[in-house]
Amino acid sequence: LAPASGNWTEYINGKWLDAHYDPVANLYTFSSCIVLADLHGDGENKLVVGDLGTGSSNMKLKVYRGTGLMSENTLLDLPTGLVSFLMDQHEPRTPAIAVASGPYIYVYKNLRPYFKFTLPPLEVNALEQDVWNQAREDMIDPLSLKEMLDSIRDKADVPLSVRSLRFLMLDPQDMEAFVNLYKEQPIRRQTVITCISTLKKNMADEDAVSCLVIGTESKDVYILDPEAFTVLTKMSLPSAPTQMDVTGQFDVEFRITVACRNGNIYVLRRESPKPKYCIELSSHPVGLVRIGKNVVVGCAQETLQGFTQKGKKLWTVCLPAPVTTMSVMDLPTRGFQAVLVGLANSEVHLYRDKNLISTIKTPDIVTSICFGRYGREDGTLIMTTKGGGLIVKILKRTAVFDDRDSAPGPPLAQSIRLNVPKKTKLYVDQTMRERENSVAMHRAFQMDLSRLRLAAARAYVKALESSLTPMSSSLSEPLRMNAVVQGLGPSFKLTLNIQNTAVCRPVMNLAISFLYDESLYSMKTAFFKIPLLVPGLNYPIDTFVECLSDKGISDIIKVFVLREGKSAPLLTAHINMPVSEGLALN
Amino acid sequence: MANEENPLTLLVASEPKKGRAPKAPELPIPERKNWLIHLHYIRKDYETCKDIIKEQLQETRGMCEYAIYVQALILRLEGQIQQSLELFQSCAILNPANPDNLKQVARSLFLLGKHKAAIEVYHEAGKLNDEDWEVHHNLGVCYSVIKDYKNVCVVSQAEEQLNAALQLNKQDRTFLTLGKVHLLSRDTDKAVDVYKAAVEFSPENTELLTTLGLLYLQLGKYQKAFEHLGNALTFDPSNYKAILAAGSMMQTHGDFDVAMNKYRVAACVVPESPPLWNNIGMCFFSKKKYVAAISCLKRAHYLSPFDWKVLYNLGLVHLTMQQYASAFHFLSAATNLQPRLGELYMLLAVALTNLEDLDNARRSYEQAVALDHSNPLVNLNFAILLYNHGDKKGALQQYQEIERKVNMLKDSNTEFDSELMDMAQKMATALQVGESLVWTKPAKDTKFKQGSAGVPIKTLGSSQQPLGTNQALEQAMSSAAGYNRSITPRVSLSQPKRSSVPLAESSGLENPPAVPGDASGTPRPEESDTPDTLPPLAAKPKVKSKSRQELN
Repeated sequence: LAPASGNWTEYINGKWLDAHYDPVANLYTFSSCIVLADLHGDGENKLVVGDLGTGSSNMKLKVYRGTGLMSENTLLDLPTGLVSFLMDQHEPRTPAIAVASGPYIYVYKNLRPYFKFTLPPLEVNALEQDVWNQAREDMIDPLSLKEMLDSIRDKADVPLSVRSLRFLMLDPQDMEAFVNLYKEQPIRRQTVITCISTLKKNMADEDAVSCLVIGTESKDVYILDPEAFTVLTKMSLPSAPTQMDVTGQFDVEFRITVACRNGNIYVLRRESPKPKYCIELSSHPVGLVRIGKNVVVGCAQETLQGFTQKGKKLWTVCLPAPVTTMSVMDLPTRGFQAVLVGLANSEVHLYRDKNLISTIKTPDIVTSICFGRYGREDGTLIMTTKGGGLIVKILKRTAVFDDRDSAPGPPLAQSIRLNVPKKTKLYVDQTMRERENSVAMHRAFQMDLSRLRLAAARAYVKALESSLTPMSSSLSEPLRMNAVVQGLGPSFKLTLNIQNTAVCRPVMNLAISFLYDESLYSMKTAFFKIPLLVPGLNYPIDTFVECLSDKGISDIIKVFVLREGKSAPLLTAHINMPVSEGLALN
Repeated sequence: MANEENPLTLLVASEPKKGRAPKAPELPIPERKNWLIHLHYIRKDYETCKDIIKEQLQETRGMCEYAIYVQALILRLEGQIQQSLELFQSCAILNPANPDNLKQVARSLFLLGKHKAAIEVYHEAGKLNDEDWEVHHNLGVCYSVIKDYKNVCVVSQAEEQLNAALQLNKQDRTFLTLGKVHLLSRDTDKAVDVYKAAVEFSPENTELLTTLGLLYLQLGKYQKAFEHLGNALTFDPSNYKAILAAGSMMQTHGDFDVAMNKYRVAACVVPESPPLWNNIGMCFFSKKKYVAAISCLKRAHYLSPFDWKVLYNLGLVHLTMQQYASAFHFLSAATNLQPRLGELYMLLAVALTNLEDLDNARRSYEQAVALDHSNPLVNLNFAILLYNHGDKKGALQQYQEIERKVNMLKDSNTEFDSELMDMAQKMATALQVGESLVWTKPAKDTKFKQGSAGVPIKTLGSSQQPLGTNQALEQAMSSAAGYNRSITPRVSLSQPKRSSVPLAESSGLENPPAVPGDASGTPRPEESDTPDTLPPLAAKPKVKSKSRQELN
């Protein structure tokens, strides 16, 4: 084995040997679908992977030996979970593989299909059964069947079967055929398996016979007898289970820790059909692992939390990225137990209690982790990545995990210099200048400020006096005007919008006059009267301007609103004419 | 069930052949991929999740309740709340018995701001399952955001629901909300109790620790405040809020290096925080690195141009740097933004005095005196100005005002700055008022105390001397507590206000030779609370010399 990548010191100092990395292994799987088992009883553990294929087709049961693929079996449906377990006492003691998929468990022995278990069907709504019976005997037509099923769906305690639900979705013309096709078959309500695990029957030995524990979509947990495949116990949960951890022996005492889809974790025990304890998390559990008597949960909110068996919170650690998967790392020969946490930042963190003791960088986001004996090597870490890669690492026998304290001293940022600009000579000079002349500067500033204010005030007064503003402030003729220029040129349309803002008094005897450069523009009427202005209404007044120049220059046209008999305008508007872009016709 | 058939045939033909004439294809179970959808959803692999959902909805023709549910959740995460609401509503139609669907409908309504509608739907969900803490918690949140705090009914309903949630299940979120509700109805004691219980329940939640610490700070319980803020920093050394609060407390105690260390961490986390740069600036100021102080404060000013506290500090630093013209601009801007602070006008007056604009300086002092009710420094500075310009009568009047304020403060056990005392005494002798002895003794006492207060700073957390005894800090805090912004910036701000400027004047009067030394940055001993004193004096040689002559 040689280091696949990375530098030499890392190879020397690292804790892991890179045994194998196949980035194109094309595996789409999860931690629940990976198992290490001695399938042939030859003391060499194989890697069994339930591959989801494309997610809808090409599902495979793959077995790896060493770095190569040993065998492949086609699966009919998506594998939900995969366990290896000893079914019986026969020699040689080779474990069977159970693949949970849909409502079935496929059991393989020696990698050959051996048995198929089907989940017990759920209770069927009696009313629904009646209705379909009537349909079978052609006593009701499809439309009334639909009506009756509809009413059952709305108030029934027991939900309808898939068949009835599908029927309710159909268009009326397809109903007849559907009823004829299905009416002869018995109604069945099936549920699917969501997770699977094993539980030792009556001995704690490594090679003792185990029962299968399955969680279903119907919020139940079943324990199956390994030989007869009968249901030994059925327990109910408040929500659909997603992950399980099982410990103990079925005949003595056992404990099933179940993470559920409602974000809670329940603890089931022998002889209690209902959960004994409940841990309510603030976010969904992504990974669930038991270490000794404690439960470690990786939450979707980027935290790792430790609980006692009875659900008391022990600790919380913040993670740098969302959790993708979790697994336990158990080295019984060294008495070492820790939790492997795969993160979305392409790292795998190793935690012992709340202390981070090691970090493994991976080339891709890890989606499944499995630690155990592979081949003849006890400490092997198997990971698959989001891109479908397969990584195998072997723990060095010299590797030591020391329990560092989780508090890493002062944060790094504390030693980063503050970004404060340097003192420049210019700044110092200016400071000195101010120190020496502050009084003069202040006075000059105050003086200039006063001048500025004066100038502004003067300009304002001037504007008011000569009515340069577009609003007339005089009490007798409160007017408002704005102007719009339309057209590309050389002729433009000028629209003046005039409004009398008085409350009730109309304004009369007004005229408009234009002032412009006659060499540039011409207007047909540069002076005209405007009608009586009723208060509040807007009067658009159009006039046309011809641009005489073709040199691409423009000028200002001034508009004055005048009152008969007075030379000072009431209002003034300056119109910035646009450059004429068109050419005169002649 | 356990039918021992030939396994090979079983696997190949999974549908049981019962020999019926038209072989009906087995209908897929709509829930069959729920586990896969959930798995991708909790791993935040939303793209794959959406693909599976799409496939599943096509297969089941939109019947799969869970697929729609997750689709809606993802839409909501992507900000399409209205669409998510519609999908949740269709879920609720598919399965009206599931309280989760109603809860999510209500949640989407809540996010859309339709709080009253959300409350109704939550009540519906509560009818389906009354033992759900989440329903109670969210009802509490809804009631608390209706923003009708005068309406006792709404507040009590919010409290009731949150308490019900806490009884069913203790969650940090619920504690935080309940605390907030109490704070908004101005019931600080209850809020403290809630946060205390919360910290007891989850002792490592930094948000709870920080909130409780800040609350104690507001209440003036500095020991406890520092304890909680310190705890918060142990669990999360880069908690911005805790760093600012703890840093400002350290600053108030003169522990500038430690405060700077903390600020450096915060500067990495939140590099554009105005209060942070303000506090860093004042740290530099206290360490006599004036140029750095100015650049930090200018950064704070740039980031938050309408914060009068930053302007105040900028004015102060420029006064210290003898850049009176600049100081005037900053201070006048500050007075425009905050026209009711006496000390601001006092600083403005000092700047104006130095700019030889005496009329305006006097006017500014008058304004300051009118606005200020407790700070004798304002009157002292005014008195000095009046005295220096020959208005003994006015000075005497101000002096009497000083005495009144001092007597008032003495009752509340305030320590006075020694230089203030000396100066006031000098003033008294100059004005030939005899009873100055009345408060010289306490002054000496305080000086001693100040010296000792400088020592335990570094062991703030476990110092034998309780923090609360430091009256300066207390005053600073309480004066700051009135504003509605985060506590931190005020603290650091108020520190310079108290001591700096007036001291400058007073010391200037006494000992001009000390002035150049300070301006050039020579360290002085015992600089715990009064770091920024002397520099302005240097720029006021005329005042000093005059006053000296007169005094002599």
